[in-house]
Amino acid sequence: MPKLILKFGDRELSECAVGTNPVTIGRMPDNSLVIDNPAVSGRHARVYREGNHYVLEDLKSTNGTFVNDRPIARHTLLEGDAVLVGKHTLLFTQKDGEQTEVPAERPVVPAIGGTRVLDTNRQKELLATVDQKKPSPVDAVIAKTAIPTAQGRIGTIKVLSGNTGQREYVLAAVTTMIGKADTSQIRLKGWFKPKVAAAIARKGEGFTITPMGGKVSVNGQSITGRSNLASGDLIAVSGVTLEFTLS
Amino acid sequence: MRLKVGVATSVGRVRQTNEDAYLVRADQGLFVVCDGMGGAAAGEVASQLAVETIAAQVANGGLIGAEHRGFQPRTAGLGKAIEAANGVIIARARDEQAHAGMGTTVVGMWFGDGLASIAHVGDSRAYLRNESGFEALTTDHSLVEAQVKAGLINREQSLQSEHQNILLRALGRDSEIDVELSETTVAIGDRVLLCTDGLTRTVSDEGLAAALDKFLGDPQGACDHLIEMANNNGGPDNVTAVVVEFQGSRLSKVFQKVLGS
Repeated sequence: MPKLILKFGDRELSECAVGTNPVTIGRMPDNSLVIDNPAVSGRHARVYREGNHYVLEDLKSTNGTFVNDRPIARHTLLEGDAVLVGKHTLLFTQKDGEQTEVPAERPVVPAIGGTRVLDTNRQKELLATVDQKKPSPVDAVIAKTAIPTAQGRIGTIKVLSGNTGQREYVLAAVTTMIGKADTSQIRLKGWFKPKVAAAIARKGEGFTITPMGGKVSVNGQSITGRSNLASGDLIAVSGVTLEFTLS
Repeated sequence: MRLKVGVATSVGRVRQTNEDAYLVRADQGLFVVCDGMGGAAAGEVASQLAVETIAAQVANGGLIGAEHRGFQPRTAGLGKAIEAANGVIIARARDEQAHAGMGTTVVGMWFGDGLASIAHVGDSRAYLRNESGFEALTTDHSLVEAQVKAGLINREQSLQSEHQNILLRALGRDSEIDVELSETTVAIGDRVLLCTDGLTRTVSDEGLAAALDKFLGDPQGACDHLIEMANNNGGPDNVTAVVVEFQGSRLSKVFQKVLGS
């Protein structure tokens, strides 16, 4: 007989056979499968037989019911489907029972409008159970892309001449704006100053400066487009002089 | 800076329906392109829900002061709007069985004060054309892109791969969505192209750049031309292009010259 195996993380908590009577899943004690967790609705979902298939139905639960990480309202269960209810997983299996009840085949990764979304969790889950020692190329890819990029070095701006309200700025933002506008981090003061004079942007490990309405020169050289900044560069922008340091 | 905008979309030569959606709000500097997926009209619903939700989030002003990892508030706000769209799509898919499993890609630009905030999920792209070249502002969240990054295949192999249509991220999949954000400064004369993969799989980067240059000053002409190129190359998929050209107002140019500073 098919069954639902209740799991929390890697731990198997219990099993529940699915026969001709519907199985109800929820937090309330009168369900056939009780999951006592605040993420689970009182009456969360149910599984019932329809012909020789088993159908999972979400009972308009607050946090939803997911099959293989996709939200479902109603879903025909297939061998190995992982049903997520709150933080608990229900594995649907018909193994060691009648093998004849496998419904019409569907692709493992559903083809949707030509474009498909790889279920990374499902993929990792499958790989982990099949062979933990041999990560497939796909697993390696996922692992690599998950690594955050290295922290950039710290850039600072020291105000050598002119009034911006602050003597020194740590370039914490991805883009630091210099100008009169409220949105500028380095605020220029004065009637004729441009709203946005220039922007300093983090680019990989370094920083660049782009003139955006003010006259900008770096070490006395006037620049028109985006230029890389080196530690010690002297920047003159709209009447103020700034020193850039990278550490 | 003034924005001159063009937009065009086409069902292509093979598909029966157009699941792409776009949003053009030049007055707000907001532009979005989405490529929906999911059978039985669900893809159209997902992409449309995404653009509507993003438009509403930006319009109601609730994103002001948003923060995210050192990004400008507008950038962080665009990310928040996309996260909201993801939630709306998931909720709709849960409530309406016909829409179960729907999803969409998204690429958006929110421009203000000389800075273009870019956000994306999936394989819809943003490009910047300026004096120094033609630059991709986004990196696809796709299996082949990840394989290239990991050094498992090279760029040429990726263009031939049978796995080109496998995405690693899309809206409507997971309630925790990782929206990729970036910022770029733009100057007068620069152009930004937002497009779906129906364009980038049929026209090379060189072709895209050449079309943008040929129609400098005429972003609508550029969009129409890009769509025609995609369809002439078989039009295998829906295709959508938004081109934003950054132009200087005459008055501001005069002021800048006079005031120098």
